[in-house]
Amino acid sequence: MRSRFLKVLAIGLAFALLAGFAVGCGGDDESDDTSTDDGATKTDLMIGMVTDTGGLGDKSFNDLAFAAIEKAKADYGATTTALQSNEVADYEPNIDDLVASDYTLIMTVGALMGDTTVKKAPEYPDVNFIGIDQFFETPAANMLGVTFREQEGAFMAGVIAGMATSSTFDARLNPDLTVAFVGGMDIPPVERFEAGFTAGARYANPDVKVISSYAGDFNDQAKGKELALAAIDQGADVVFAAAGLTGLGCITACQEADALFIGVDADQYETVPGSGDVMLTSSIKKVDVAAFDAIKKTIEGSFPGGQNISYGLADDAVGLAPYHDFDSVVPQEIKDMVDTVKAGILDGSIAVPATRAEL
Amino acid sequence: MLGDILTPDLFASAIRVATPLALAAIGGTICERSGVVNIALEGMMLAGAFAGVAVTYYTGNPWLGVLGAMVISSLFALIHGLASITLKTDQVVSGTAINILAIGVTGFMMEVLYGHPGNTDPVAKLKPVFHFGGPTEGFVGQVWNWINTIVFSHTPIVYIAIFFAIFGQWWMYHTTWGLRLRALGEHPKAADTVGINVILGRYYAVVFSGAMAGLAGANLTLEQVGSFTENMTNGRGFIALAANIFGRWTPGGSYLASLLFGFAEALQIRLQSFRDVIHIPPEFFQLLPYVLTVVVLAGVVGRAVAPAAVGKPYEKG
Repeated sequence: MRSRFLKVLAIGLAFALLAGFAVGCGGDDESDDTSTDDGATKTDLMIGMVTDTGGLGDKSFNDLAFAAIEKAKADYGATTTALQSNEVADYEPNIDDLVASDYTLIMTVGALMGDTTVKKAPEYPDVNFIGIDQFFETPAANMLGVTFREQEGAFMAGVIAGMATSSTFDARLNPDLTVAFVGGMDIPPVERFEAGFTAGARYANPDVKVISSYAGDFNDQAKGKELALAAIDQGADVVFAAAGLTGLGCITACQEADALFIGVDADQYETVPGSGDVMLTSSIKKVDVAAFDAIKKTIEGSFPGGQNISYGLADDAVGLAPYHDFDSVVPQEIKDMVDTVKAGILDGSIAVPATRAEL
Repeated sequence: MLGDILTPDLFASAIRVATPLALAAIGGTICERSGVVNIALEGMMLAGAFAGVAVTYYTGNPWLGVLGAMVISSLFALIHGLASITLKTDQVVSGTAINILAIGVTGFMMEVLYGHPGNTDPVAKLKPVFHFGGPTEGFVGQVWNWINTIVFSHTPIVYIAIFFAIFGQWWMYHTTWGLRLRALGEHPKAADTVGINVILGRYYAVVFSGAMAGLAGANLTLEQVGSFTENMTNGRGFIALAANIFGRWTPGGSYLASLLFGFAEALQIRLQSFRDVIHIPPEFFQLLPYVLTVVVLAGVVGRAVAPAAVGKPYEKG
């Protein structure tokens, strides 16, 4: 009786563990699709991607990078796969797995994987590495660093926030002239969002105060909520979060404590259901555009390694999402100002700071 | 500028941050008092957080979600009980396994139920219990605003946590059952000799700790944020374990230690706005709660002595 019970238990536990593995190693392996559009270049390139700990489903850069390799599969018939990293310790084995499976173009996604890419690229000189959100000090011939000028889109978001907090077009806007920035971890891309947003808000109105705080994490919604609530308690009426899933808590905070929100990376009006009542706009970062551009260059020409490429407003890789529900509410003068600022950034007459030190 | 920080919401925030920690810590206290180490609070909290959202998603009733959270995390606790009490495996190993299992199972179930990883769709949340108007003018209005925000602005599980802290403290030291629980962890052989069922008692305690961790998870998902994010407990179970130790394995002490951490966290969040004036990296502020908690508790509380038999499987005879 007892031993039978233990057997059942052991089998149950084994299944549970399998379930865990399925998640850990799952990814998407639908790589048999060979149909391509007529006329497009076909390729036998094998593209593998490794997510950072945010993982697929972050509705942000991991998902967008995945969209890029999916497009490469659809357009060129490339073989693609994505491996998820549940923790930092998964980065290296995931890369090793891809190399062992003959993937020759590996995309490592997220600034947090930068060090791993630098370490692994020299080990596999025949494999090309694209580092999304990574800047390489000394890129080898098989390394391409892809970064974004997040500050350019964030500057425009800052202008909207700064003008909104100075105006009264929505009942939730108070006279305190305070806006808030919530960051995930204090890493270069997030700092660029912070610097651009802060500069934009001050550009719109030099009297605007920007409360800026960091969660120290990209997965902690509850913490994001407390950060936003604290800023709202201190008078902020527009909150901009560049904090991954932590930022979803900021949306909840804005809904409960009556403030407006500006989303990040994707158009969060589309990706976060039920957020329309607070979502003023989003500062978007088209990881998919940049990642696909790098893949396209590799397939149609040769791997553009040995350098860092920075994508910005001029490449249509960063920018602002539509106002959606706020389109009829936001005053025309704000919309005009945003257009003016955009033109100014493009022609270089407005210099956007990329770090806090430049503010 | 300090006036911007010392607001009633600072203290209300401290209580909100402390609640999930305190619930798990009280569960951990009961569990360890019975002689079973429970480092699986993190995983049980995560499982509860997910189950709460999933049940609410299908029933539309967040109270059923709370119940579901407690049931599922109790099942995880039962696995820990089987492994550590009946099978007498190393309790730390079993706890670690459950923490890993919870990450895998919640991520997997998310794929099954929602079809995508990352974050679930939002569900109905539990609303704050009280809605008092009251005076807003003058000094009386100010005082009332403080009381109303700090005491009456919270959601149900926040008050449930305070209840468990007070009731648990009384229960542990003023009832026969409380005495028996302590005997299980201090000297199980003596307890056995006087006719207390050590094995069953430990099972009760472990499952109770699971239910409390589930309640903590439900507080996170069904009261604070309204959806589930993979790995969203973010180490809270381990902080709860520390709070239990700093609270000297008492329910009241666990709550107070959690509250201290919560206050430090709420404070550092607000202090970050000083970065405008003093240029200090945000990481410096983020470590304040940990440093403050350790310093205060090491200085004030002093040496904490664990239950004598904690971590040792009971061998009859």
